[in-house]
Amino acid sequence: MNRLIRAELLKVRASRVTWILAALAPVMCVAWAALMVILPGVEGAPPGRRAESVYSMAQQAYVFALLLGVLGMAGENRHRTITWQFLVTPRRERVVGAKLVVHGIVGLLIGALSALVTLGAGLLMLGAAGQQVWSPRAPAILLGSMLAVTLYGTFGVALGALIRNQVAAVAVALMWFMYADYVLISFLPVLGRWLPTGAARALSGMPLQGAELLPVWAGGLLFAGYVAVLVLAARALTLRRDVT
Amino acid sequence: MSAISVTHLGKSFGAVRAVDDLSFTVERGTLTAFLGPNGAGKTTTLRMILGLVTPTDGTAVIGGTAYRDLERPVSTVGAVLEATAFHPGLSARTHLEALRIAAGLEAGRVAHVLEQVDLTGAADRRTKGFSLGMRQRLALASAMLGDPEILILDEPANGLDPAGMRWLRGFLQACVHRGRTVLVSTHVLAEIGQIADQAIIIGGGRLAWQGPLTSRTDLEELYLEVTR
Repeated sequence: MNRLIRAELLKVRASRVTWILAALAPVMCVAWAALMVILPGVEGAPPGRRAESVYSMAQQAYVFALLLGVLGMAGENRHRTITWQFLVTPRRERVVGAKLVVHGIVGLLIGALSALVTLGAGLLMLGAAGQQVWSPRAPAILLGSMLAVTLYGTFGVALGALIRNQVAAVAVALMWFMYADYVLISFLPVLGRWLPTGAARALSGMPLQGAELLPVWAGGLLFAGYVAVLVLAARALTLRRDVT
Repeated sequence: MSAISVTHLGKSFGAVRAVDDLSFTVERGTLTAFLGPNGAGKTTTLRMILGLVTPTDGTAVIGGTAYRDLERPVSTVGAVLEATAFHPGLSARTHLEALRIAAGLEAGRVAHVLEQVDLTGAADRRTKGFSLGMRQRLALASAMLGDPEILILDEPANGLDPAGMRWLRGFLQACVHRGRTVLVSTHVLAEIGQIADQAIIIGGGRLAWQGPLTSRTDLEELYLEVTR
């Protein structure tokens, strides 16, 4: 298992796509954070609330970790390199296991970089706008965002294992987190806290419109549960399929 | 014990019977040509031997063990299945290095196999720009990483120019001289007829002919006769 993880780390490091997406992640976070600085605030909101919403934008790095996870797993099918993988490691679950670990690490690094950059940019922008720059909840929010981005990386791998077609897997991942969850919430707000987006938001402290979120720990567990369900589904449905 | 034993092997893809009641053995230290028209079931059979495709019936074992249960698969069997199967953004060296690490092989193997297939000069280029012949050689290098006793090659001659073809012939002969077992599928009968010890010919997923080849065998004649 250790060997597989090292091999996967090598491939991730050697791929240009990793570095491009990892570099885009903090840029996206800062853009969102800037939006949070200039948006009109809610009347009577507590003074640290704006700083909290600015720092919670560190979670916007999720889409890059998610994409890298999907590409890392489904990309093996797309490029037909999965044949080599399964020749070296006929126990196919181990290949998926190593990818989960590696894309968790990649997600954690992207999440950490994004949290740091969002923090720095947030301090500067809030200060320049004459707003309160800090909130006691800020450290928890930044840490939670990092963990959420980490989990999104593993979610991508699990989804890529279940949906072997890379284009379909990327499309499902993006539709799911950019539209489907929000559409569901707009119809059924009570559902929000139980959806992956709601679970990740609970972890990162980023509010979800119209939905009351779970406690931080429960959100993290629920999201990890979604990943586990996808992995088990892949094991039962697609992992054992013929590689032709 | 035979290097490879295929016993009553069968595979159906939906209503299509790709391989049907196929049995043959490949003895150690021999070069066996695996022949048959397109769609005869050669690739499916090879993939079943390698645990990539699950048989509907029968078994395929390597030295008595199913591929999926081999303790060190790549040190037992090396396989070339798809010449184009490389991540376009990775270099040949990175591709091999990742396989080497995953298989737990020693560090010097990558440079060694690159040298073996004459790819040292192109090792750090992305495989995106590789010609078909270079891909075939990189695939062979991947198969040789674990220094395996058995080689299973699916149409390794595809896309090779005359010089590459000659190189491949020498390569396969050298493998057998060193006591390796080679099972190779190909359509290039004239080439393989010169070096193979035996031939297995299939048609429509079933065994059409199996037997030794001598210098007097007209392989093309035989092939056309039994696959008619």
